[in-house]
Amino acid sequence: MALSVGLDTAVKALRAHQLAVDVAAHNIANAHTPGFSRQRVLLRPIGLDGSDHFTRDAFLGRPGFGVDASDVRRVRDIFLDYQIRLSLSSRGRYTALADALRTAELTFNDPSDEGLASVLAAFWASWHDVVNTPENTAARTALVHAGETLAGRIRRAFDDLSALREDLDQQVALMAEEINAKAREIAQLNLQIKQVELNGDSANDLRDRRDLLLDELAELANISYAEQGDSTVVVYLGNHELVVGTEYRAVTPVADAGNPGMVKLVFAIDGEELAPTSGKLKGLLDARDVELTELQSKIDSLAQALITELNALHSAGFGLDGTTGEPFFTGSGAADIAVNPVLLADPRKVAASGAAGAPGDASVALQIANLAQTPLAALGDKTVDEFYANLVTVLGADVRGAQGLADSSERLVSHIEAMRQSVQGVNLDEEMTNLVASQRAYEAAARVITAIDEMLEVLINRTGITGR
Amino acid sequence: MRVTEQSRLANHQRYLQDIGRKLDETQRRLASGRRIERASDDPAGAAVSMHYRRGIAFEAQMRRNIENGIAFMNVTEAALDGATDALQRARELTVQAANDTLSPEERQTIARELDQLIRHLAQIANTEFGDAYIFSGHRTDTPAYAVSGDPPTAITYQGDNGLRVRQISRESQAAVNLIGSDVFGTTFDDLIALRDALDGGATGSDIAPYLGQIDEALERILAARAELGARINRFEAALRQSEVTDLNLQELKSDVEDVDLAAAIVQLGNEQVALQAALGAIARASSLTLLDYLR
Repeated sequence: MALSVGLDTAVKALRAHQLAVDVAAHNIANAHTPGFSRQRVLLRPIGLDGSDHFTRDAFLGRPGFGVDASDVRRVRDIFLDYQIRLSLSSRGRYTALADALRTAELTFNDPSDEGLASVLAAFWASWHDVVNTPENTAARTALVHAGETLAGRIRRAFDDLSALREDLDQQVALMAEEINAKAREIAQLNLQIKQVELNGDSANDLRDRRDLLLDELAELANISYAEQGDSTVVVYLGNHELVVGTEYRAVTPVADAGNPGMVKLVFAIDGEELAPTSGKLKGLLDARDVELTELQSKIDSLAQALITELNALHSAGFGLDGTTGEPFFTGSGAADIAVNPVLLADPRKVAASGAAGAPGDASVALQIANLAQTPLAALGDKTVDEFYANLVTVLGADVRGAQGLADSSERLVSHIEAMRQSVQGVNLDEEMTNLVASQRAYEAAARVITAIDEMLEVLINRTGITGR
Repeated sequence: MRVTEQSRLANHQRYLQDIGRKLDETQRRLASGRRIERASDDPAGAAVSMHYRRGIAFEAQMRRNIENGIAFMNVTEAALDGATDALQRARELTVQAANDTLSPEERQTIARELDQLIRHLAQIANTEFGDAYIFSGHRTDTPAYAVSGDPPTAITYQGDNGLRVRQISRESQAAVNLIGSDVFGTTFDDLIALRDALDGGATGSDIAPYLGQIDEALERILAARAELGARINRFEAALRQSEVTDLNLQELKSDVEDVDLAAAIVQLGNEQVALQAALGAIARASSLTLLDYLR
């Protein structure tokens, strides 16, 4: 009996160390696989725990029955997973916001010699030139063109922002497919993990894949999740279930009645709107519906103020040919501001003069030129130029703020990822050491078998020769 | 803390990215020479910079206004010079004509020269600058004086009292034109009357009172020249003031917007050293592996 138990122990050891070598090989193979957690063989001595069918008496004084290596576990800290997902959501949110705002900032291109500010300055300067030589048609022609350049730049800034919003809207719509793909895969993995683990095995690599998907999902929108008793994980997006057991709830873009031309994401199953509080989706929505619309409404205010104030003065003045009552700008806001085509066709009609038949009078042009220095109630008691400069610098501060938050959440992600890697990552030197150790142990176990074999040889072939 | 393959790789990549980004930024600034290219580079600095830029553009326009105004006034001054010369010649002729020894023929000869002077003065009063008759007030499309008859029998003012006002500094506006009726007053009527008197056989004692009228005309011109001179001085003072303001603003703007070259070059050097050090460290750390020591 005793010797065959020894053989059995040695065979268990061979199996255990072979498994350890396999695990080391698996770890080494996946040293650079994203989301991989290193695996460890759980080695446990098999002792006399009373569950064996052997009686205690028969094995009194024995050391035990070798090693048990049935379980391979992944090394992972689920608390770090939780933490990094919070940071990933926030990184996704502020990176998306900062990207959108930086693009908006390029539209304005100020402070520079080519920005809207210098176009505005050139416009006011043209009015002064008309004051200096009101009789001169060249000065008037230059003025109406400076006006058209200004109007064009304002329209373009407004259109650029509209285009940027549409671009963001497409990204929002595409988010639905991205979320669905991940949710679908998590639901499938739930099923596979459940089946594998029902048999008592550990679905390590499937779990790694599922955790990676949860990381990616967290970057898109803030999620909450909980693992259930049956090894499946329930995922909530906002307050709505996204994955339950082996099923997922698809998200779909629909036209948003309250936000013309834009889509909103809803759950197909009940039409409930997806309203994330963090993640890339939140950043996109904030940029599209808050920051950029605010910018557009500021440019609109600026255009409206120019139209209203200039037209009030201009329509009271007189052109060289006695024309009066003409507005300088047509349109009602930033989308359609333009110089009155009547003036473009004949700059003599620019109403610089305060009276008919007084071509040397430029009192109206002077008033308009000095509008540049006049604080306007419609612009919060700022001048047109100050209002614009404020718009640009507030946007600059917003870009910087969003970028700062993106950077700090990036640093946090890196930091937690480093901690997570420190727990679950593969170190090749460590694996090599384990490999060498297992190899040695395997060799030793094989030697045990040889030893027992030799003992059996003695027992069988060298003893009891009496009967020969 | 365990060091793993992925974290080591991620760290290396992050170091290189960080240093690379800084290096890129410093190079970009050195190349453009500007510290603020976008408002987000320094929002507070951008606000200040845009304020200075507005000031610079405004001052440039003020100088345009002033220089154009000075040109207008220089033309006016030249016209007044001409008027003074003409009136002084008229005064000499009047002094001659007031001499009782002159014959009626000689007085008529003087009258013909007066005709010339009157025409010349009318031309001066109708001087143009660009598309504008400078003495017509606001009615700059109309000659200041209408001349009827040849030789002239009546010369009448057809301008108005409008002043051509422009902005010459943030606080002040100023007119550049003189009103024809102020400058010439009754000069034309007086000279025509004098000529008619000479043609009509007036005696020396009849002519003498006209001398006083010509002196008054000369005084009007003198007063106008004094006024103009004062204005030109004021414009020139405003021009110098604007140039000083511009210089200050340019300097302030440059302080805010432009790169401190010396500091940026030192920074670039530091960053290059940091990049080399990081590359060296990574190369050495990566070559260390247990595999080299296992047989």
